[in-house]
Amino acid sequence: MLKIENLHARVEEKEILKGINLEVKPGEVHAIMGPNGSGKSTLASVIAGREDFEVTEGSISLSGEDLGALDPEERAHAGVFLSFQYPVEIPGVTVTNFIKAAINESRKAKGLEDMPANEMLSKIREKSSLLEIDRKFLSRSLNEGFSGGEKKRNEIFQMAMLEPKLAILDETDSGLDIDALRIVANGVNKLRSKDNAIVVITHYQRLLDYIVPDHVHVLYNGRIVKSGTKELAFELEEKGYDWIKAENE
Amino acid sequence: MRNVLADVEKVFHSNQLRETMAYTEEELKKELETKEYEYGFYTDIESDTLPKGLNEDIVRAISQKKEEPEWMTTWRLEAFAQWKKMEEPEWANVHYEKPNFQDISYYSAPNKKPKYDSLDEVDPELLDTFKKLGISIDEQKKLAGVAVDIVMDSVSVATTFKKTLAEKGIIFCSISEAIKEHPELVKKYIGSVVPAKDNFYAALNSAVFSDGSFCYIPKGVRCPMELSTYFRINQAGTGQFERTLVIADQGSYVSYLEGCTAPSRDENQLHAAVVELIALDDAEIKYSTVQNWFPGNKEGKGGVFNFVTKRGLCERSAKISWTQVETGSAITWKYPSCILKGDHSVGEFYSIAVTNNFQQADTGTKMVHLGKNTKSTIISKGISAGKSQNSYRGLVQIGPRAENARNFSQCDSLLMGNECGAHTFPYIEAKNKSAQIEHEATTSKIGEDQIFYCNQRGIETEKAIALIVNGFSKEVLNKLPMEFAVEAQKLLEISLEGSVG
Amino acid sequence: MDLYEKLLSSFIAFEDKVNVNDEVHEIRTAALKRFEQQGFPTKKLEAWKYTSLQSLLKKDFSIFPGSKCALEYPAVRQYFLHETETFKIVFVDGQYSSFLSETTHDGVDVCLFSAAIEKPKYKHIVDQYFNKITDQKDALTNLNTAFANEGAYIFIPKSKALVKPIEIVHFASGATPQILLQPRNLIVVEENAEVQIIERHQSLGGVEAFTNSVTEIFAHKNARVDYYKFQNDTMNASIVDNTFIEQHDSSEVSVHTFSLGGSLVRNNLNFYQRGSHINSIMKGVTLGSERQHIDHYTLVHHIEPDCESHQDYKGIYDGRSVGVFNGKIIVDKIAQKTNAFQQNNNLLISDTATVNTKPQLEIFADDVRCSHGCTIGQLDDDALFYLQSRGIPKKEAAALLMYAFANNVLESVKNAALSNRVKDMIAEKLGVKIGFDL
Repeated sequence: MLKIENLHARVEEKEILKGINLEVKPGEVHAIMGPNGSGKSTLASVIAGREDFEVTEGSISLSGEDLGALDPEERAHAGVFLSFQYPVEIPGVTVTNFIKAAINESRKAKGLEDMPANEMLSKIREKSSLLEIDRKFLSRSLNEGFSGGEKKRNEIFQMAMLEPKLAILDETDSGLDIDALRIVANGVNKLRSKDNAIVVITHYQRLLDYIVPDHVHVLYNGRIVKSGTKELAFELEEKGYDWIKAENE
Repeated sequence: MRNVLADVEKVFHSNQLRETMAYTEEELKKELETKEYEYGFYTDIESDTLPKGLNEDIVRAISQKKEEPEWMTTWRLEAFAQWKKMEEPEWANVHYEKPNFQDISYYSAPNKKPKYDSLDEVDPELLDTFKKLGISIDEQKKLAGVAVDIVMDSVSVATTFKKTLAEKGIIFCSISEAIKEHPELVKKYIGSVVPAKDNFYAALNSAVFSDGSFCYIPKGVRCPMELSTYFRINQAGTGQFERTLVIADQGSYVSYLEGCTAPSRDENQLHAAVVELIALDDAEIKYSTVQNWFPGNKEGKGGVFNFVTKRGLCERSAKISWTQVETGSAITWKYPSCILKGDHSVGEFYSIAVTNNFQQADTGTKMVHLGKNTKSTIISKGISAGKSQNSYRGLVQIGPRAENARNFSQCDSLLMGNECGAHTFPYIEAKNKSAQIEHEATTSKIGEDQIFYCNQRGIETEKAIALIVNGFSKEVLNKLPMEFAVEAQKLLEISLEGSVG
Repeated sequence: MDLYEKLLSSFIAFEDKVNVNDEVHEIRTAALKRFEQQGFPTKKLEAWKYTSLQSLLKKDFSIFPGSKCALEYPAVRQYFLHETETFKIVFVDGQYSSFLSETTHDGVDVCLFSAAIEKPKYKHIVDQYFNKITDQKDALTNLNTAFANEGAYIFIPKSKALVKPIEIVHFASGATPQILLQPRNLIVVEENAEVQIIERHQSLGGVEAFTNSVTEIFAHKNARVDYYKFQNDTMNASIVDNTFIEQHDSSEVSVHTFSLGGSLVRNNLNFYQRGSHINSIMKGVTLGSERQHIDHYTLVHHIEPDCESHQDYKGIYDGRSVGVFNGKIIVDKIAQKTNAFQQNNNLLISDTATVNTKPQLEIFADDVRCSHGCTIGQLDDDALFYLQSRGIPKKEAAALLMYAFANNVLESVKNAALSNRVKDMIAEKLGVKIGFDL
């Protein structure tokens, strides 16, 4: 589904991704781990099409469609969803209004009419109960004054509403206590299907206790230096990243 | 005929209205047909445009043409005498070429001749805007000044509903009519809140005002519908110097909507209106405006100068609430104000001002606390884009006898792009120690991270900006009557179109 | 003859008396011409909307001080910061008092403005700095420039951090019963240099002094200037204090103004940021009583990107006093990433006191964070009652609350001796004998 070939990207003069290759098939969950500064979040941003990064070489495609020339919103329409490490606050725009706009814009891009209000409502109801989200929460301003856990839960709620093909969870576990982590992970697991794929970006192994990956990759210095099964995550947890660094110096 | 009814509903934006419409379409049609004759008076003077320039004779002539009583003529002449002594004000942050007051024709009869024969002759940019607002073809024609099959004069519509209103004792008519029919009310209240000598433009208006609206709500009456001047301005061609007088008698309530909810490409350069509100004991007036006069083109050519004086007087426990969405005019200069004279009276001001391209807006409010336990709230949202300048200028004044006065003001500015300006000039004057005043102002821009976040969720940049701007303006949009709010939201989007790139 | 005419007709006599070189003469003459056109400011000017000089200008001020009056140190000791060692530049009735002063030329110049404009060795300094950043639209500044002759001249060269603070003290002795004083200070702080300055104007006896002071401060790259204005004069004295500050890259200038005394006090504090990563700090505590009129007018002009400004003014007004705060922040188009903050909080203590506040933002750049806030309120009755119920008498309780209200500003005073002095002054003004550090 997602195919990344020899991806190089830089910000200003600094090259951050130095030749990434990655293939994710439908139904799979991949974990990308790595020490701070290895390029994990950059990879997520580049897939989503953030303009601060310049792709200098290589390609990204989703279900055979080249994403390279697409704007961020077009990638979203194509089915890419990025759960932000730091979700942005938009004062005065409620969670409901925001998700309505997002869904209808995607539908418009596909030549569909706006989603009928009653359908929208029942969908919101269904997905919010899936993620144990209080209805009052939905009428608050987007991410404004949300706790860390609420922000992340809101991201997964949007993911549930938008039903992407590919979801990238960027450090979704950061800033979450164990209860919030459990709720978020359960939500993600409920959204797993044979037709979509999930890329989990994380520094620590603990999220992977809840969202069990099929493949684990270690990103270091802009390259994937090791790939394996979920056991690799345990190994990293045990040994830390130093042995990876040592191997790759 | 369907269109007519749709229009009628638009005029009054009221659900209650639909219930009160007991008479049939046939009746309405008949009434509309006959109205042409009833108002034949206007046809007589159609070709009768006064020569350019302003002097005592012109003022007298205006009064005469409107068949005004002697006291009104005198009142106008006194105002004119004041005006002659006054100097046109200079404003620090507003730059424009001053109008030549001798080069304006101060009286021109309502123009019934269509400006164009078909829509093809109308500026396509204007039509495009209509389309975006979702206005029907017939209505488009009407707004653009194209001849339509059924000429629907707003005056007639208002007259139709006068019946319903009259049952409750509510008077809603043109100010010219009120001067003739209800001289005791007009005489008592006109100029009582905005004296003729108040300022340069108020004086000019007092001398030469062409027409406007008059509204009186009797004691204890809750006006069952939202009153509107929507079509009056568009159709009757009285936009230039309108005069509005709203009187809410003790314990009454009225919600009044003003403005054109569709852009009007007005050829008048100068609009100098005066609005006076009087809320007697325990009365409440809610006055909402959506203003989008022609703002000038992208190069800053043309556009309306909107110099308006709006002021309300609150007696004991009365409340006046101004809500405005200002997206139009090349220059907007207006400060809807409240004189909180009575104890326990309340003044509110909610404003959104959007400027784009070369627009300049200098707007805000004055809250003058005279009575005890008076309260005022000011929420102002300024959005500047393009090369525009957007200023908030406000005064909160607490008089020495205004025990326990409370004010809260919040002025937020949103800047889009690097060539616009946002300015805040609040004046706060407190002469009573029990006053509690809080003022906050912030300036911010739309963050690139906010836009990317929206993009990532599939929302394109222009839509994302509209969403963010709507969120920013929400506290004010919420104060507008429902249908108005929807149109206001659309207007915000249109006004800011092309402001990013 | 009114003061305006008196000033115009005295100019030639004045220039006769003082030594002048051609450049200074030209600057003075041009300034006088501007003043002549402008006249004294009136309430019609937006910047003077809330403050009138009319009653002050009716007085018959002497423009030239009479014979030199000597003051004995013990009599005026209380007006100096004697708890700590300082340099002192002292003037009595506008004339330098060598007896009370302690100046230096040891690596720095802490001396006289008159010397700077007269001596050839300072000519390049005068050429470069004198009257370069003043506001020529301001009549009183022009008036000062026209008669500029005496004041403090401070020059801190590159990388020199002056350890001892400098006190600039102006006395009006009372030898002349009504006197107009126009001190002119010039302060240049070069790259990486640092200085702390305390300025004070003090009238003795019943003298009615009107001071129209102008200070120009230049803070070069990475310089640090920490400036304190003590305004605790008698109720017969009035001051218009015009301060102009030009800052360059990464410099930090802070000005604290403590306005407790004086009949009419007007501060015009202007910051011009000519560089990036500049920080400008303005803080003030004002205690108004009786018929005092105290007006703070601040301007911060953000001209370059990446700079900050912080303003925090606390005002407490009792009696029939009038307080004015008029703060203006201008952010130019290219001054992106500006952070500008302004706070003005006021307490009205009596029924007859007035506060007028007018914070203004003029913003032409989009990527900025600017905010202002102002409040007007009164002492919290519950807090007052709480303190009283704990045995603190009402007057002291109120003083404590007022002190707490102003504490933000007081806490930022960097010098302990200074900070104690300010606290004492506040306690004295409020008529209480309590230590505020509980």
